[in-house]
Amino acid sequence: MAFGSGVIRGMGITFRHLVESYVIGFKEQPAAAGDLVAPTAVRAGMPVRTGGMQTVQYPDEKLPIPERFRYLPFLLYEDDADNDREAFDGIRCTACGICAKVCPPQCIWIVQGKGDDGKPRPVATEFYIDASICMSCGFCAEYCPFDAIKMDHDYELSSYERHESWVYDLQELLHPVAYHAAIHPTDWQRELEEQRAKDEAKRRKAEAKAAKAAAAGADGDAEDPEAAKQRKLEARQKMLDARKAREAAKAAEQGDAPDEA
Amino acid sequence: MKPLDLMQPPPPPSRRREAPAPQPVADGPMVLNIGPHHPSTHGVLRVVVELDGERVLSATPDIGYLHTGIEKTFEAKSYVKGTTLAPRMSYLSPINNNLSYVLSVEHLLQVEVPERATVTRVLLAELDRLASHLVFIGIHALDLGASSVMLYTFREREQILDLMEMVGGARMFPSYIRPGGLAFDLPPGFEEAVATLLDKMPAAIDQYERLLTKNPMWKRRTIGVAVLGAEDAIRFGVTGTAMRAAGIGYDLRRALPYCGYEHYDFDVPMHTDGDAYARYLLRIAEMRESVKIAAQALARLPDGPYATADRKVAPPPKHELATSMEAVIHHFKLWTEGIKPPPGEAYVAVEAPRGEMGFYIVSDGSGRPYRVHMRSPSFVNLQALETMVKGSLVADLVTAVASLDPVLGEVDR
Repeated sequence: MAFGSGVIRGMGITFRHLVESYVIGFKEQPAAAGDLVAPTAVRAGMPVRTGGMQTVQYPDEKLPIPERFRYLPFLLYEDDADNDREAFDGIRCTACGICAKVCPPQCIWIVQGKGDDGKPRPVATEFYIDASICMSCGFCAEYCPFDAIKMDHDYELSSYERHESWVYDLQELLHPVAYHAAIHPTDWQRELEEQRAKDEAKRRKAEAKAAKAAAAGADGDAEDPEAAKQRKLEARQKMLDARKAREAAKAAEQGDAPDEA
Repeated sequence: MKPLDLMQPPPPPSRRREAPAPQPVADGPMVLNIGPHHPSTHGVLRVVVELDGERVLSATPDIGYLHTGIEKTFEAKSYVKGTTLAPRMSYLSPINNNLSYVLSVEHLLQVEVPERATVTRVLLAELDRLASHLVFIGIHALDLGASSVMLYTFREREQILDLMEMVGGARMFPSYIRPGGLAFDLPPGFEEAVATLLDKMPAAIDQYERLLTKNPMWKRRTIGVAVLGAEDAIRFGVTGTAMRAAGIGYDLRRALPYCGYEHYDFDVPMHTDGDAYARYLLRIAEMRESVKIAAQALARLPDGPYATADRKVAPPPKHELATSMEAVIHHFKLWTEGIKPPPGEAYVAVEAPRGEMGFYIVSDGSGRPYRVHMRSPSFVNLQALETMVKGSLVADLVTAVASLDPVLGEVDR
């Protein structure tokens, strides 16, 4: 092997790449700043280009993002005219807390709403996600049974402050459903189909009920609504009496115990 | 008080100690720290080197700078949450780590995995091996002063990471492999994208070889350097390319096949020199084998379910939640209580790019593992460093570390 042959061979490859960068793919580069790169990258499922210009002029150009890409979670609300965002109307979250449960770094904090009677209501009055703890695993979005939390595609989140601004509250997390539909088209299709199936099942159930009622009416031994109400009330009274008797027996037992001791 | 004359040097403080008299340079060895912040140590590895001139008398790896307590963290997380932790140990071979953990959990559960999930796992594991070896070649060459190789290997690696992002939503840690199967089905367009990449890979590997394999400078820096013999390899428990380069054909895909590797047609490349050049050649050959295996997996990728139908292991598909009350109950029970394997222990190892990667999991029957321990190849292989470099030049230490290709996240855990 002649002296310097490795250098010459290596420089040859480098030189070829230099020439290629002016020949292959140069025309495919976006002309105007701000355009999305043509989907030549593997990201869009298109053939891979391994020659020519590779550089993406970020932030003037940005690569397309695959649908499953995940960064930070966000919450969904139905952006209808009759829903007031400030009044927590149309927010899909029911504060079931499964996202907080499956979150590996435990960065989700939910406070469930309470009605005037003190009973819990299926709404989240407070919802916090600490973005500096979130590991972007996407478990919350994967396991939410109500499709209320999804993973965002927005990755440009730098801020001048690194404490409070990183803890997102409910209002910061809320995004309209249309936004979710735009960035997750496949998932949105699935959701629509599910809704259709659900409606269909509901309709069929109602139909079956109506048919049954009609059949019962035809037989003529249909129960009078008033009589049914009476029967239900009686059953309820019976249950309450039984419970009272049980409680009395229990109290008597407990009352006896100290006497014996 | 006299005004301070700024032009004059200040008087010496009265408490200043006398400078120690210069000691004559001792005739013994010089102790030098390489790392923990040194580009060629691939992370926060500190090597305490004793030098006699340029000769290495001893080299002791000092580890622990990246200790995260990840084994303890596993004990506080449910089995599914563990799939987000296992890949984070190794940022170069996350899929293989994920696979090893999931196989151990599945061994505890004794659950059947659908064929589509198994084949996808093989496909992703081989893509992961390709990506890891691409980094190895690029960084190894960069450490020895050949900076252009890295540009070309990272070009192909980027495409593989894009595939991972397409499949699982994240480039490095998709946590895509779950107990019982996969997290979701493969996205549309994935098979075509992989096929295109696999078509391009052989030509790309040829290009790296043109830059390095016959390059006289590369050969002089690697041939006969950092030699590890077969006996030492066995003595230290070294696995992976370092062991196969020493002439021992031990590959877990052959020795203890998992994920149906026995049904794939591939060779286990071998060498007998045991030096850094042999390890480089083996990795190049392994990349070609990986392309072969991935192509076979792609060809036999069957249709069907991507996760087991056992609702105690994998959650019901989301569309069932809308119509089935049973599915909702399974869903909530699985995520509030977690998977509950029967009490017992399991160790399943996979052939990761660096060698034998195994997870040892002890279950006490609850929703969280009682104990998790990893047998990581980086940690074990690093113990052979001193044997490899004793008596050689200090510059060869860089070659030795680079050819072992340790990931410090795996070493310190």
